Amino acid sequence: MKFLLALLAGFPLLAQQAAQPTPDASASSPTPTGAEWFTGSIDLGYRFTSIGGDNDVYRSVVNLGQGPRLLGLDFTIADPKKRLFDRLNVRAYNWGGDPYNTVHVDASKQGIYDFNFEYRDLAYFNLLPSFADPLLGTGVVLDEDSYFARRRMSDFNLDLLPGHHVIPFLAYGRDSGEGTGISTFYSDINQYPIADHTFDKTDNYRGGVRLEFNRFHVTLEQGGTTLREDQDAYNSTTNYGNNLQPYFGQNLYLSSLDQAYGISGSSIYTKALFTANPVPWLDVSGQFLYSEPKTNVNYTQFDTGNLVLQSAILFYTGEQALGFAAGKQPHTTGNIGFQLRPFKRVRILESWMTDRMHTSAAGLFTDMILQPVSSADTILTPLSSLLALNYNQEQVDILVDVTRKLTLHGGYRYTWGDAQTGDALVAGPGQESSEMRQQTGIGGANFRATQKLSANVDFEGTASDHAYFRTSLYNYQRMRARARYQVNNALSLQAVFTLLRNENPLTGINYSFLSRQNSLSASWTPSKKITVLGEYTRSTLRSDIGYLEPEFLSPETSLYRDNAHSATSLVDVALPGYAKLTPRLAFGGSLFISSGSRPTTFYQPMVRLTVPLYKNIAWKSEYRYYGYGELFYLYEGFRAHLLQTGLTISR
Amino acid sequence: MPSNRVLAILLLCWPAGAQTPAAPAAPAPASSTAATYVGSETCQPCHEDIYNALLKSPHNLINKEKWRNFATRACEACHGPGSKHADSADASAIRNPAKLSADESSQICLKCHLNQPTHIGRIESSHAKNEVACVACHSVHAHGPNGLVPRKMAAINELCAGCHTEVWAQFQRPYKHRLPEGAMSCVDCHNPHGSIFAVNAQAYAANETGCFRCHGNLRGPFTFEHAPVRLEGCGACHEPHGSANPRMLIRAEVRYLCLECHANLPNTAAAVKNPPALGGVPPAFHDLYSPQFQNCTVCHMKIHGSYVNQELLR
Repeated sequence: MKFLLALLAGFPLLAQQAAQPTPDASASSPTPTGAEWFTGSIDLGYRFTSIGGDNDVYRSVVNLGQGPRLLGLDFTIADPKKRLFDRLNVRAYNWGGDPYNTVHVDASKQGIYDFNFEYRDLAYFNLLPSFADPLLGTGVVLDEDSYFARRRMSDFNLDLLPGHHVIPFLAYGRDSGEGTGISTFYSDINQYPIADHTFDKTDNYRGGVRLEFNRFHVTLEQGGTTLREDQDAYNSTTNYGNNLQPYFGQNLYLSSLDQAYGISGSSIYTKALFTANPVPWLDVSGQFLYSEPKTNVNYTQFDTGNLVLQSAILFYTGEQALGFAAGKQPHTTGNIGFQLRPFKRVRILESWMTDRMHTSAAGLFTDMILQPVSSADTILTPLSSLLALNYNQEQVDILVDVTRKLTLHGGYRYTWGDAQTGDALVAGPGQESSEMRQQTGIGGANFRATQKLSANVDFEGTASDHAYFRTSLYNYQRMRARARYQVNNALSLQAVFTLLRNENPLTGINYSFLSRQNSLSASWTPSKKITVLGEYTRSTLRSDIGYLEPEFLSPETSLYRDNAHSATSLVDVALPGYAKLTPRLAFGGSLFISSGSRPTTFYQPMVRLTVPLYKNIAWKSEYRYYGYGELFYLYEGFRAHLLQTGLTISR
Repeated sequence: MPSNRVLAILLLCWPAGAQTPAAPAAPAPASSTAATYVGSETCQPCHEDIYNALLKSPHNLINKEKWRNFATRACEACHGPGSKHADSADASAIRNPAKLSADESSQICLKCHLNQPTHIGRIESSHAKNEVACVACHSVHAHGPNGLVPRKMAAINELCAGCHTEVWAQFQRPYKHRLPEGAMSCVDCHNPHGSIFAVNAQAYAANETGCFRCHGNLRGPFTFEHAPVRLEGCGACHEPHGSANPRMLIRAEVRYLCLECHANLPNTAAAVKNPPALGGVPPAFHDLYSPQFQNCTVCHMKIHGSYVNQELLR
């Protein structure tokens, strides 16, 4: 660490001989010259980390590690002869061990094709003892509900451009994930933390054609997905679980477990989109979307130990379960809307939408209870369920340009729908149903006093007489106001205010929710040498809702508070130069301080120094600090110092 | 719905009263004789930087597009006929989109871009209704690999955060999607051009929620669905922009998140007018004073939906 600091301090001295500043990106000759066919930069470095406090929480929140890194690669090849492509652009960031690796490739050849590819590899680590460790209070940490997984996403898109009007396209995407973690095996009375392994991948294939003309456009797309998912959970040692209390004098434990899911799925989907402006005063658009995902599942489980079936107070030594099920979910969405301009200053926007989804599934679950002294009991459970949703929405908005500086808009939205859910495919006591009906008034104004001063405000207020859930939006008001003022060429200011207030006064619910956010931001660039950006947000959230305590059904109130200060800043300063080179120093970062139901502090200050060393070579160093603390869970805090240093080579 | 009927009648009548439609874009300044097209090369001597930049930008295509009648007139495609401005060098003699209202300047862009799939949700878009012009995000004269709008994820986020500062503040919280790290961008989840889904959300595989693009393992359909996931979306329990609570949950403790919905007695329907009917009460053995029952997802681990267990236990 000391050596590094010395290195950092000494580097500017070594850079006395360095060369020219970053090449000016301003436009020059339209035809790529030999020197211009390749432009780009590569950013290589090494990161040192020093972490104090809870390393698992650091990995859950930040997860940046130590070692050499390809921090950034960005280059463009413009082929002057336009052979395979006119232009190829590649961007890659954070390779070499970082948890977020990305690559993006764009290639195009005018009149032939447009291609892009994207790949991301994201690592997710989550191990928070306070989140799900029932025995934490007794000093036993079981790491339940923790995982370490990677998700990888790839997307290929190819648009063929044989003409101006007909554009066929093909695309392929894959989303896959794999990881290990600690899950829970639930058995009556007790639950046992167990190791698990998950793997899933979804392939998405699609293709279609776009027809684009002056007066209308149609897109027809047909696609499909395939899903494979495997989940395994296992245990091979004596596991006493979360409940250490004897049950009817006996200790409960799990000796072995082998549990596996095998899931396969597929879906077809269809998209038809159109836009048209048949006459200059009318724009029309609409879409029809249909998908039908399906899944098939096989489940096996074999476990041994001293376990109990609570409903019969039956102790047993083993259990074997087999299950299979199939589900499907046809889902149809339709929409049509138009924009009408009856007069120069008036626009009318109207749209209708319907969304209908019907999930149904059926299967069979066989559970064989193995007892030490009697024959096995087999329990057959048919599985079936239903979830149906119908959602409809109609909205009309009228926008009036009262003057060139003021636009007012108002409107009305009516949403209605119904839902059914239950454990049976046929109507009966196993099913629940609910409706949703909301009437919303919409209003707003957009005021442009000058080019330097503008403000806009949006408001909607809704009255409901049905909602699906107790916490659903019911009688609510939502507002957003924003003002921007450019004081002079150097300084601009912005203020944003948002509000959401939701009330459900029904007996037993008494839901009252209020969320407010006030944000101020400023950008100050007094000269090319200094840029100052700053933003501060104060947010408050209050939620009170009645609920029933399950054991005695006594009415209680759930209170949630979240009052937070957030700020971000960046100061970028050009330091005194030498040999036409300009080092830059940037510092700033962010802070988050909250009080209420989970008081938390999270600080992320940073300092970055960029020193040009030679023509197109710069030395970059960055120090970043992460400080995290929770008032209720002090043991989960961490403090991390990260120092990153490396070279940026550009052309 | 009487108001709807009145509106429908009104809408049907509008076209009849609209025989003199408004021009889709603000015309160039009027004068005794109309200005004529002079071609982009006439603009070059005075506006060389912009001209050269345009030649390298995707908009250079306009210079070659005969089917829209703008071939060799890329500058005038947006600025209107430029003969008077070229003769007089008077800035007021040509249309300057930067000085038009948001709607007027966007109409210029939409002359070419309206009938494209990108704008399928424009009528429902909150950006369009709030007079956010195309040029608020797109730099029309820009050139380079990024085209007219930033493509790097960090640059996209910076652009969006310029207006949505209160949203960006949420990403400074400890548990969030990885936008500040540059691994994701706002447009992964939101379509800035508009969408028929709430909050301009992106869709996956036609009409499924855009969250499934990355979280395909939670897509189902499950044998036993958890109804809020389908009826109200992931936002019923998660704050996707960022939270102080683990797993981006909207409550600090899982039990309260669950119990706020799961508190409807079976006889609620008789006692309360128009009850929210979904979500019953857990059985009485759930002793909330016992740590074992304080985080519901310890047992109900398949909280997003289960393939084999109705209580979402496995």
